[in-house]
Amino acid sequence: MASLTLTHLNKTYPNGFTAVHDLNLDINDGEFLVLVGPSGCGKSTTLRMVAGLETVSSGDLHIGDQRVNDLEPADRDIAMVFQNYALYPHMTVYKNMAYGLKNRGESRADIDRKVREAAQTLDIEHLLDAKPARLSGGQRQRVAMGRAIVRNPQVFLFDEPLSNLDAKLRVQMRIEIKRLQQRFGTTAIYVTHDQVEAMTLADRLVVMNGGKVEQVGPPIELYEQPASRFVAGFIGSPAMNFLTAHLENPTTLVLPNGQRLELPQAVDHSGEVMLGFRPEHLESCSPEQSDFTLSVEIIEPLGADTLLYGNFPDTDTLVLAEQSGKARFHSGERIPLRFDRQRLHLFDPQTELRIT
Amino acid sequence: MVENRPWLTLTRHILLWLGIAVISLPIWVALVAATHPTSAFVSGILPLWFGDQAVTNLVAVLSNDGGLGVSVSATRMLWNSFVMAMVIAVGKIVISMMSAYAIVYFRFPGRQLCFWLIFITLMLPVEVRILPTYEVVANLGLLNSYAGLTIPLIASATATFLFRQFFMSVPDSLLEAARIDGAGPIRFFKDILLPLSANNIAALFVILFIYGWNQYLWPLLITTDEQYYTIVMAIKRLMTSDNGLIPWNLIMTTTILAMLPPVIVVLAMQKLFVKGLIEQEK
Repeated sequence: MASLTLTHLNKTYPNGFTAVHDLNLDINDGEFLVLVGPSGCGKSTTLRMVAGLETVSSGDLHIGDQRVNDLEPADRDIAMVFQNYALYPHMTVYKNMAYGLKNRGESRADIDRKVREAAQTLDIEHLLDAKPARLSGGQRQRVAMGRAIVRNPQVFLFDEPLSNLDAKLRVQMRIEIKRLQQRFGTTAIYVTHDQVEAMTLADRLVVMNGGKVEQVGPPIELYEQPASRFVAGFIGSPAMNFLTAHLENPTTLVLPNGQRLELPQAVDHSGEVMLGFRPEHLESCSPEQSDFTLSVEIIEPLGADTLLYGNFPDTDTLVLAEQSGKARFHSGERIPLRFDRQRLHLFDPQTELRIT
Repeated sequence: MVENRPWLTLTRHILLWLGIAVISLPIWVALVAATHPTSAFVSGILPLWFGDQAVTNLVAVLSNDGGLGVSVSATRMLWNSFVMAMVIAVGKIVISMMSAYAIVYFRFPGRQLCFWLIFITLMLPVEVRILPTYEVVANLGLLNSYAGLTIPLIASATATFLFRQFFMSVPDSLLEAARIDGAGPIRFFKDILLPLSANNIAALFVILFIYGWNQYLWPLLITTDEQYYTIVMAIKRLMTSDNGLIPWNLIMTTTILAMLPPVIVVLAMQKLFVKGLIEQEK
């Protein structure tokens, strides 16, 4: 187990493309850190630099107290789980798990004990003699995990390990990964583009965009206090709604339909702002109390909740409202809605940063 | 599509049977001729059914107790052919695998140039470069030797290209997983790449063994010592005879012997051969 320190980390490819730009991160011992962002945001590159599969262009990378920039992947004491599992197709599950230990020159008895222990933990003892081609996706995933934990590394690295599984199995393995990480207490870095996976697994979340870190923090903090419009739109499902609004004075916001909102706190801004509000923070109410009326175009009943889509009055902006699944709606219905005043988010339309 | 056109079916079958006859009749004639005494051919009419001299002819050919146009036995020639085919097949596989490994997995200056240089040699088979190659081999003193028979034929652009394509289809993450597991370049090659290539190697071996076995022009050119005659080229030599009587029965026995090893190799490795050419292991 170890902490990790990434200091001014940069990755520039020979063709001039900068994949990661001045990344600074301190990862605590035993922490589960999730890197999340859209494809091409640099999250995988960051992980691969930690693994040693990509060279670091500039900056320092420490695992524990050791600077590992120039160490081979095998000497960094890390283990990695790949998106396509990368199991050796010609080796049995046992040999797949034992290969790394064998290369380290451990004794046959030690290897046997460790492989069997890991297999037991993951409930794959009965598969030890099978070859990967015979296994199902979930079983391959377990073997890949087994190959990682059998080495008892300082750091676990996960590169979108659940993307190739079906939805049900994904939820199951997600829980399993969390359980295993808590049990071993090993520091873990996990890369995903799936924000639900990110929210559920992370002790701390790093949202990346265009090679830069947008925000770092516990999942709930990112949900409640997104630092930028990008984070606000990326974290939370269904995604946040955005509207262009106008600040009349530091405490009064004018909506496109002419409605005035009194803000709970005065903000340090004037003129045009981007108003963000989550679908789950719109409540239906009586017409007198309402902030606006949504004419419903599309209804998505999910059982527990119902999602209502319609344009915000006097605009072309599509707005999504999440309502309880108990109520029944029909297309064309006009529903008076009210904002949760405590949970409005304002962003600067130019810098896209949060306004407080 | 299910069709019922009796005439079409009949025509097809007749054509197929004709094709089979055209291919198998000469083999049939060779088989039959190998079982008769030399005297059976004097009349100029080929017998079409088996005689009783099969074993006698076989023994005569394998031990060469006279009658053949060369001084060495068929056993010796079979051995020469076998050595030549084996060394060429194994040598081609080893060299082309190693060069493909270098080209696919290592970044070195001139990597693409190396690949294209190898690729261009596709246009220079032995037949095209036969005189300069002969000159080189002769100057090295390799005439009448196994080295001279095999080494000039070992370099193979086709096999290199085949392995290159296969290596490129191996997922990068396998290499990365092996690196994290502490496997250096040699271990990765030995533990991961070599076992994964097994089917390809088998398929290539079949093709290259037959290629080596069937070499005619090259052994003809560089062997003057009958001790190094290969069986395929020697068949022609057998037709010269002292007393003007061509020993057709012995020639045909030798021909049958020359055909056997490639047939055995194909039959024995048929499954692996097909697998290597069409199947991708997951």
